[in-house]
Amino acid sequence: MNALEEKLNRFVKYRISEEDVRLLIDHLKQKAPVYAPHNSGEASFSYELVEKSTDVVLQYPRTMQPIKKFFLPPKEVLLNFNIKDNTYSKPEVPEETRIFFGIHSYEMASLKRLDYSFTQGHRESNYISRRKYAIFVGISYEPDESHFSKSVGIDVEETEGFDLFLLKNDTGYFLLEITETGKKLLDGYKENLVPDREELKLEPLRFKSKIKYHHNRLPSVFDHVYKSKVWEKYAEICVGCGTCNLLCSTCYCFDIRDEVELDAEHGSRTRYWDGCMLNTFAEVAGGENFRGSLARRTRHRLYRKFRYITAKSEMLHCVGCGRCSHYCPVGISMTDIVNDLIADHEEKQKREKI
Amino acid sequence: MSKPRIAFFDFTSCEGCQLNKLNLENDLLSLLELVDIVEFREAMDDTADTYDVAFIEGSISTPTCVKRIYDIRRRAKVLVSLGSCAVLGGVNAMKNLHPADWVQEAVYGEDKYLFPSMPVQPVSAYVKVDYEIRGCPMSTPEFLHVLKSIVLGRKPEIFDHAVCVECKLHENECVLDKGMFCLGPVSRAGCEAVCPENGQYCTGCRGLVSNANIAGAVGMLKRHGFSEQEARKKLQMYSSLNKLINEAECRHA
Repeated sequence: MNALEEKLNRFVKYRISEEDVRLLIDHLKQKAPVYAPHNSGEASFSYELVEKSTDVVLQYPRTMQPIKKFFLPPKEVLLNFNIKDNTYSKPEVPEETRIFFGIHSYEMASLKRLDYSFTQGHRESNYISRRKYAIFVGISYEPDESHFSKSVGIDVEETEGFDLFLLKNDTGYFLLEITETGKKLLDGYKENLVPDREELKLEPLRFKSKIKYHHNRLPSVFDHVYKSKVWEKYAEICVGCGTCNLLCSTCYCFDIRDEVELDAEHGSRTRYWDGCMLNTFAEVAGGENFRGSLARRTRHRLYRKFRYITAKSEMLHCVGCGRCSHYCPVGISMTDIVNDLIADHEEKQKREKI
Repeated sequence: MSKPRIAFFDFTSCEGCQLNKLNLENDLLSLLELVDIVEFREAMDDTADTYDVAFIEGSISTPTCVKRIYDIRRRAKVLVSLGSCAVLGGVNAMKNLHPADWVQEAVYGEDKYLFPSMPVQPVSAYVKVDYEIRGCPMSTPEFLHVLKSIVLGRKPEIFDHAVCVECKLHENECVLDKGMFCLGPVSRAGCEAVCPENGQYCTGCRGLVSNANIAGAVGMLKRHGFSEQEARKKLQMYSSLNKLINEAECRHA
């Protein structure tokens, strides 16, 4: 038994059918609003408030916007002001219990990283208020061609951060009680269920996308590739649309804009998701742009994921959800860039030896 | 303090942007509290000598246009170009891709000598433009943003990032992924991604983002199954004055 299986076997678990999972959603809905993945287009998924448990999609590759949308909304009014009276007020951010259902392990890992980023230095009070009473029910998934979370050290069955976890098996799911909160949530649901004593054995999952090196070695690779030619190679294809930033589950940059109403008196200050791949992101007064080229911007994006914050937080800030690769309109894959950097680094090392 | 005097002028265009302003309806009365409209051919008869803000719609395509725009600029404190024709040359500018004689004959036939015509240029090719409001037609929220900013004495914020940003903020399913054509990844936002959001594709009516990777854009469209010729043609619909569209060499895909 490997360490992960050992860990999973310590949790109390129940064997339930897909039908039971839907009943579980109905049960949870009585306790708090439940948010879960829904179909949102031909082949697109998004987290939405559950109205009917039958609308919830249990097996899905990934949602378009990551779970951060509930804690750092894409668009958020920070202040309402009056420029005549010179007064302002902050909209209240409710601190409420919300249940997030059917969440993948990399999403939970991304929240751990956002928790870090938003509690360093000046604490992000809006984020913290929204995050405070959130409850998470995880679910296992089948990796597609873009997922590579295993390569950054996050197993599909990683339960850290979850209160309950659903592990898919041949007939349905194992429902695992992870925390006390999770256990309490099942009051009134599990009365007819008997804990399953059978030992869990995990099928080794095959990730189609992989990084060549162990994730522990990646920050050190980034010590040597700042001047690599790889950046230029990808900048030639990249169109700088910013999709990779905006959909990244750990990116948190935002822009703030003020808008005054037509009465030239009332107004509001709003923040929006922003991204360092966008042309104007590093532009300052006078028009100077510190990262004017796509090569520099790509490099910055990758360094933010594998080196800069990693050095401070000791966590890679890429969780392998594969959104940047999957939604990239020109088909640039995160694992391709990193593997190219590794190859470039190895070649450089070889040359230096001679 | 008296209200700023604003005026609207139309050059070579469909006048759709001006019409769009009359569609403001709900906001029109509040707008008039804020400013005095002193000249607006599409809506009124009055004319004026000077303007605090002059909004220019349409491209410059005839000798008369040139005279008029010089004259307006002299009498305007702030000049704003409005809509794709004024900012980019727009759809009109596609005529520059063909021999002038052929175009004139196609449009005016035998009478072509009665209508002197020049290669289409954006307003900024002739006079200093203070602010630009893009779009075909221009978006009214953006027009109001610029107008309010000028009245309040602050610099308007005009986006220079891709339409993709707005689609992602709205969590719209990617139209390229659905097999449709789209110029959103290289076209300027500010429209709230109104076309992709409503089942259409982005035609790039606001022009390309600055420093756009055109070769990359052509490669991207080829990757999604469109020919290089189609990619370049569609890129030229609104941005035909961008010489790079024909020149940028696509080495990928």
